[in-house]
Amino acid sequence: MCVKSKHTLNNRSTTQPSPQTMNQRIIPLTHLLQFSDATFPVGTFSFSNGLETAAEKKIVHDAATLEEFARAAARQAAFSDGVAALMAHRAVSAGDYEALCGADRRLMLFKMNDEARLMLRRMGKKLAELGRRLFPESEILRRWLADIESDATPGSYPVAQGIVFRLAGLTEEDLYASSQYGVINMILGAALRCVRVSHYDTQAILFKLAGEIPDLFAEAREMTFEDMNCFVPEMDILASLHEKGQMRMFMS
Amino acid sequence: MFDPKINREYSDSPAVDFSKAREMKPYLSEPKAMYVGCPGKHGFLDLGFELDPDGKSILRRLNRRAPLVVQQELYFDESMPDMPCVYILSSGGPNVDGDRYRQDISVGKGAKAWVSTGAATKLATMKYNYSGMVQNITLGPDAYLEFLPEPVIPHAGTRFICDTTLTVDPTATVVYSEIYMGGRKYYNGGELFKFDILSVCSHGRRPGGEELFREKFIISPDRANLRDTGVMGGYDVFANVIVMTPPDKMEQIYGRTTPFIDPARRLAAGITHLPNQAGLLFKVLGMEPGPVKEVVREFCSAVRIAVKGVPLPKEFPWR
Repeated sequence: MCVKSKHTLNNRSTTQPSPQTMNQRIIPLTHLLQFSDATFPVGTFSFSNGLETAAEKKIVHDAATLEEFARAAARQAAFSDGVAALMAHRAVSAGDYEALCGADRRLMLFKMNDEARLMLRRMGKKLAELGRRLFPESEILRRWLADIESDATPGSYPVAQGIVFRLAGLTEEDLYASSQYGVINMILGAALRCVRVSHYDTQAILFKLAGEIPDLFAEAREMTFEDMNCFVPEMDILASLHEKGQMRMFMS
Repeated sequence: MFDPKINREYSDSPAVDFSKAREMKPYLSEPKAMYVGCPGKHGFLDLGFELDPDGKSILRRLNRRAPLVVQQELYFDESMPDMPCVYILSSGGPNVDGDRYRQDISVGKGAKAWVSTGAATKLATMKYNYSGMVQNITLGPDAYLEFLPEPVIPHAGTRFICDTTLTVDPTATVVYSEIYMGGRKYYNGGELFKFDILSVCSHGRRPGGEELFREKFIISPDRANLRDTGVMGGYDVFANVIVMTPPDKMEQIYGRTTPFIDPARRLAAGITHLPNQAGLLFKVLGMEPGPVKEVVREFCSAVRIAVKGVPLPKEFPWR
């Protein structure tokens, strides 16, 4: 079980940099790029969030339908995964380990799909393991990984992101942007392998959808667990077909 | 902003409090006609199904306030003739601006029941406030409930929030279904997705308080394009069915249910497991309420076969 404990953070600040400390911002920015990179080894590439089935059923078949699908996926994560990640970031700031476990538990109660739960747990554990290497001094990560390994907490990916981003001195905005970027890029990366679209198409979609993230963040940052919501019934049905189907290029 | 204490002066229905729902904050003015919570606009229903001394399931407790009406239980289900069946009616017609409803349904140890509505639930156009409903559905050991109401039809500019708590013993089975139409599809040249907001939350728990799952969807054409691929796509009707049942029954039902996308009939359905081995979640998309209802009933029939060994009878031709 998770018990409340205080712990000390490394002393990198998450406040906005002044011009004098601008060069200091280069370090967290580089971390942000690293954690958001498609090659960051958490296994993003093995999931498609139902896109594989959507492509097979010809529901997503060109750049326009791919953009809508990616937007739906981003919105799905915006008010669930995104909220849990922000809550985890705040829990680490407050040194409140119990709140961290709460964010993890509440997110898993909200995930209505086997493959989605599997994806979040698998990626979450990988990120926690990786985090241990990057922040070997962090007591919170040591404990978090131990709790995942002993099944005391599910260890979802958004919560692990919240921890690692806070430890790396990244802000809530950084975290949210990376979380949204990760979801959109996962779909677009999978699309290059199963939808007839070009790199130009996927980059244009990513660039366009970035413009929609600030509004989502403005709403998500005010939300509590009670407010978490998502409505993507067509994606849910596609996920179900994938779960029961034979197609297995991707794990979701 | 209204004060529920003042406005509930003449009503003895239990409070229906959505003051914490952020999404309803834009809709808190007092209606110019009958105030929020006034008698006739604050419905209450308390249905208690139990076994009588002979082991027959009966509607033991019936407590109601207008506009919600339940008359008496009937035994019209041909494949389960010993199951009490109840229609929830509303004497007020559609849900109007500022309506509040509370529906409590409990099924005691070993009892069974079937609950539906007499007709579709119409959500009228609203200008000032919203319509809210709180439901508490409680099942004791080995209890069985099929809750299969007719579709909900949101008119242009309506606002509706519903919060349902399913407190279910690990040995009991509940089928909780909801069908939402995009609107009055054929009215006035078509009124699809013209409502302001539908906010629907269902949570499952055990009698001891252990939380099992929480599903919430906020459907609002202002917040997102509902026609996007992945959201409603080209579909007009959406059904959500929660089944809480013991794990062995759950696997039987899951194994027998095939998700599908049928482009010819423009109908699709999917099934997945709820978190914490709580049961199953079944979703249907379609163009018209009839075929969607049929798919929901087929699924409910699979549940009934797994749990009670008999299928659902054919739907009445007038329903």
